[in-house]
Amino acid sequence: MQALRWWVLGLFAGVLTGQRSVAQTDSLRTTSVVSLSVVTVRAIAPERFIAGQKLQRIDSTTLLQFQFGSLTDLLTFNTPLAFKNYGSGQLATVSFRGTSANHTAVLWNGININQPNLGQTDFSTLPVAGFDLLSVQYGAGGCVVGSDAVGGSVLLSSAPDWKQKFSVTLGQQLASFQNYQTQLGIRYGTKLGENWQFSGRSFGYRHQLNNTYPYQERRGYFLEPSTTAQRGLVQDLFFRHKSGKQISVNAWLTDNDLIIAPQDPIARERTRTQSARFLTTYEANQLSIRMGWIRDLIDYAKEDFSGPSHTETDRLISRVEREFNLWPGHQSVNLNLRVGGEWSHYRTRTDGYGGRLITENRQDLYALLRLQTNRWLVSANVRQAFVTRFNPPLTPSLGVEYKLVQRSIWNVIAKSSIGYSYRVPTLNERYWLVLGNPDQRPERGMNIEGGLAATAAFSDQLKLTAEATAYHNRVDDWAYWNPTKNYHVENLQLVVARGLELTTTLTYTRNGWQAGLRAGYAYTRASQERVYDTYAQDVVGKQLVYVPMHTGTFNVYVQRTKTRLTVQTQTSSRRYVTFDNTQFFKGVTLANVLLEHLMKLGPVPVRVQGQANNVFDALAISAKRNALPGRNWAINLIINFPSNT
Amino acid sequence: MKKQSTKGLALIVLALSVWNCKTSDPEPTPYESGVFILNSGNFSDNNGTVSFLPRGSQTALTDIFRSANPDLTLSGGMQGYADISGKGLILVDNSTAGQDKVEVVEAGTFKTRFTLKSPDIENPRQAIQVGPNRAYVSCWDVSGDFSKGTFYKDPGYIAVVDLNSSKVTKKILAVKGVERMVLVGTEVFVGSTTYSGDKNLLIVDANTDEVKQRIEFSATPELIGLDFDGKLWILAGKDLVQIEPATRATIKRLTFATAPSNVTFSADRKRFYYNLSGKTYRLDNTSTTASGSQIIARTFNTLGVDPQTKTIYGAVVPSYKQAGYVVRYDEGGTLIDSVKVEIGPSGFYFR
Repeated sequence: MQALRWWVLGLFAGVLTGQRSVAQTDSLRTTSVVSLSVVTVRAIAPERFIAGQKLQRIDSTTLLQFQFGSLTDLLTFNTPLAFKNYGSGQLATVSFRGTSANHTAVLWNGININQPNLGQTDFSTLPVAGFDLLSVQYGAGGCVVGSDAVGGSVLLSSAPDWKQKFSVTLGQQLASFQNYQTQLGIRYGTKLGENWQFSGRSFGYRHQLNNTYPYQERRGYFLEPSTTAQRGLVQDLFFRHKSGKQISVNAWLTDNDLIIAPQDPIARERTRTQSARFLTTYEANQLSIRMGWIRDLIDYAKEDFSGPSHTETDRLISRVEREFNLWPGHQSVNLNLRVGGEWSHYRTRTDGYGGRLITENRQDLYALLRLQTNRWLVSANVRQAFVTRFNPPLTPSLGVEYKLVQRSIWNVIAKSSIGYSYRVPTLNERYWLVLGNPDQRPERGMNIEGGLAATAAFSDQLKLTAEATAYHNRVDDWAYWNPTKNYHVENLQLVVARGLELTTTLTYTRNGWQAGLRAGYAYTRASQERVYDTYAQDVVGKQLVYVPMHTGTFNVYVQRTKTRLTVQTQTSSRRYVTFDNTQFFKGVTLANVLLEHLMKLGPVPVRVQGQANNVFDALAISAKRNALPGRNWAINLIINFPSNT
Repeated sequence: MKKQSTKGLALIVLALSVWNCKTSDPEPTPYESGVFILNSGNFSDNNGTVSFLPRGSQTALTDIFRSANPDLTLSGGMQGYADISGKGLILVDNSTAGQDKVEVVEAGTFKTRFTLKSPDIENPRQAIQVGPNRAYVSCWDVSGDFSKGTFYKDPGYIAVVDLNSSKVTKKILAVKGVERMVLVGTEVFVGSTTYSGDKNLLIVDANTDEVKQRIEFSATPELIGLDFDGKLWILAGKDLVQIEPATRATIKRLTFATAPSNVTFSADRKRFYYNLSGKTYRLDNTSTTASGSQIIARTFNTLGVDPQTKTIYGAVVPSYKQAGYVVRYDEGGTLIDSVKVEIGPSGFYFR
């Protein structure tokens, strides 16, 4: 073990002093040659080194439409990710391709921000306004992303706007049920001398959900009284040298204050979740260094809020990556090797662990290889993680993409990949007094997938994309809080998830008119397959809870110059709520209508959005068996002054 | 031959008229006789149900409230059930304050009649009949923070329910963690859950709905019921205590090494069944020592005894995320069968 560490250090010394080489194009999808001296490839590793798997980039229009929404809403209407929702403004956890809430890595600027005690993210605490770019990486990403990327990864990033000198953004939402949201931000940028350029963003938001419903029940189901106050601050600073070097500083502070049953002074419950995330990144053409600090606080109290049960966890993260072009000077072949190492130090003090300070170190080493030719894109990756007493196994992956058809009108890419993934047991799973298991092993997944992606430009006006993906993901040693052992956590279960995903987009542009549609369908079959005791027979082969077998999204829009009408729909089949599938919530279809208009008040461009949510007044049920709100409304104003658009 | 066909015709006419009569009968009452199983569901999932097991059947009918009322949901854990003047009172505990209720149904059909809600009902625990169309429902009231000792509101209350007017007419302030009640003549003896720590036994006048008397015990009194001889039995800590209801005098006290659980009367009310240290025991009321004989080599989430068939019902909960089982034994403890029910079987009501 010790020897290995020294070997690693040696390797790094070699890496860091290695010779520089030229950068390279980004992906198969990039066809034009970009000027590499200025535009360094900054796509974070998951987007470049997971070949053969599906990657979905959410476009800026969609981000703007969900400017006042949570990440839950956006992903629900645009991806097959299924959320277990506890109520409006309450905990929302994800199931990605049939896996549990612990099996989606959420990365912010390349760093996993899953709350380490719980090993998951509450998506209700992440407003869309808090980041600039969003993509969804489907399937196992263990070797590139690290722990938790078993079902997939959600990638959030901040992006500089080098063209912007100064702009102010002011956003205000007025919504049904006395729910309000205010956003205020500035972007700024300037040249710093001959060689440097600077771009920054300061942004703050405040969201108050009072949820004063005019009804207490919907069709026999209660609406749970709750309030949520959400505040956040984003600070991004980017410095770019003309050689391509970049230094960035990113910070994101979030504060989420949820109170359930606020009307009752005895029974009221408060969950306050605060996170502070700081990251500094240095990127040269071939080298990137990241250093970060994340603090996560959770305070839970009932009745008297003055002495809450407290969880405080700090993470110090440093990561060094170095990329090599192994075959420089070759015209049509790019062969890149990216090696990296990560060191994280965890410190947690949690009432549930007895209040003692628990520390641990996690190290990761990885090597990512990427080969690109005119027709081929191949990635071969390997990662070894070292966690104090909980070493996950070596994690390799191999992915291939091949251009089957490459014509002027259309092209088709075939994709395939095989990859392992793992999940380091959460701090709760290991350290929770009595129930935690100090001998808990990391979970282990193996994902195989294949698919076809096609793009067609029938004319300048009409464009089509389509993608079909099938996958099989087998996760062993799946953690289970075993009721027959008084809810001690054990590596008991074996879960197999398999499925099919179809997506297509169609866009049409003519004479100032634009129209488009995006449709997606996913079949997800996820089941527990191991008989570990007598009663497990009743749950073997059954669909996992809260995972709908069928989901569909359908979005259409029509735009005429500065007015746009969008209809967003999402439908999901029944969701079982018990392991043996004896109880379920019925399938439901949600539909939102959004009308936007960009107008000018004097010199000030104002975007006005009118939103009708759940227009069919469908009855969606929360995990606590309460009704979610019926048809509701919102008016959003976004003032951008001066605007670049 | 002619005679026969005339007879046959007469029979057909008779049969038709009987069938005709039958179609105009009141709706069938599928839950007239049998065993109701109260399934608590998983706490924050609020998915408790009532299953119904007809005697002689090995298949339980699931979620009979939903079957009878397809558009409605109980939304909570089932805390109790009682038949009172032809109506069934289903006690529903939701994980969120303000969402508990008592769903009142037609007893034989389970069709809903009305709902008693918060703030009349908060954490309902047990319902008993105290007169024609009159019920008492013990309620803990809203729960505070367990870790700070304020979980049980002091005191809890008894909701007096008038089933004619469909209303809670009064709240009788009772004891902390008020739970099981036993009607003896015109008096209601009221106990508490052991976790509340309240040591008072309360006696309420069922005519005036006023508290008559408080008797302090050595430990929290949990009521079991009246034996064949009309004597009241109470579990207080490790003690089974027999009381003369009229004089309140203690007749007998049987002390166990550790507190037994799920103490239930046999069909003839001359014996107890109970769980202790992972086993099921039987003990005669007349016993002078707390030493029962083991009849089943396992324990249960709850125990019930069918007064009609003497069959012992044991509830098994594999997990609160999958259906549990009811295992049936004859009165001597010999296994009869096992029936799958719903999530977290935790109570029985025999009818």
